[in-house]
Amino acid sequence: MRLIRHLVVIAVLFGGLVAAEASAQGSSLVKSDRAASTSSVPAEVLVVLAKEEPGEIDPQLKKLTALRRPPFNSFRSMKILSRPKLKLTPGKDALVALPNGRRVKLTLLRVMPDGRYKVKAAINRPDKSDYLPLLQVVASAGDPFFVAGQTYQGGTLVVGVIVDPKKTAQ
Amino acid sequence: MQSPKTEDEKLQMFFDGELAPEEEAAVRRSLEGSPEGTAQLREWEQLREAMKSVSADWAGEIDSEALFARIESEITAPAVPVTQPKQEQPALRVVPGGRERRVWGGVATGFAAAAAIFLAVMAWPGEPTPVPVARGSEVLEVDFGSNTGTIFEVEGGAGESLAVVWIDDEEVGLP
Repeated sequence: MRLIRHLVVIAVLFGGLVAAEASAQGSSLVKSDRAASTSSVPAEVLVVLAKEEPGEIDPQLKKLTALRRPPFNSFRSMKILSRPKLKLTPGKDALVALPNGRRVKLTLLRVMPDGRYKVKAAINRPDKSDYLPLLQVVASAGDPFFVAGQTYQGGTLVVGVIVDPKKTAQ
Repeated sequence: MQSPKTEDEKLQMFFDGELAPEEEAAVRRSLEGSPEGTAQLREWEQLREAMKSVSADWAGEIDSEALFARIESEITAPAVPVTQPKQEQPALRVVPGGRERRVWGGVATGFAAAAAIFLAVMAWPGEPTPVPVARGSEVLEVDFGSNTGTIFEVEGGAGESLAVVWIDDEEVGLP
């Protein structure tokens, strides 16, 4: 009888703990669901024309110290051509036109558990896929990634993409 | 010392015929000027009559004479000794495997306890583990298509690593 009593008590304890564990897993699932169900995230695309000829560096770019480091340090002038703001919705393409006729296509794939954004990007002419068919990056809020190298008007286009630009990573 | 009777009690006792003659006379006098008391008495009287009627009906349905006769005959009947067959006491015997069952029971208990402790540790809400804050950006996958390209890491203003994808290409004209 003592053994049966022990087993019953342990079974009850076991059941309770299984329930607690399931509850904990449920809350983590909720967290990942939250990530999957992110409605939309603001983003900004920075289109810069950089040239090696001496000139002015746009004052708005002075905060982006990365643009003064290799491989960008060979440019002596930088001019912001456009700075469109857009909303990235998971699974939905957002298009930004570039001055050379190509388009940047951005897709928010998901929000990672660490809060970073997984983004798919492509740069091509309409109905073409000859330049940058696919790029997948993860970026934290407010930290840009760059796609550079397209020649345009004697210079080079530097395209910076900043997801959630109002937030800055701690 | 008796507490003085309330009017209700007196009326109830009057109705039941339990008052002393002088008290009964006093109540009877007071009822002459009290229509409420008279109405109350009438109501009780109706209730008593109704109960009497119902109990008379029930009593008519039961043949009490026959019932008592049967009970009496049962009581006076000679007692017949009841001999119960002697039951054989089951002989105690050693159950084979009893020791093994205890051992397995102990093992099962041990496993259950271990599982319980493991889950308790897993589910215990300890201090939240600090999630490392990811900074910067990094390339997970890139397809340069027909071009050649390079992936750089550039240091940002806060020391974070920022991804740069550099693709060489010929200048394209506007469509």
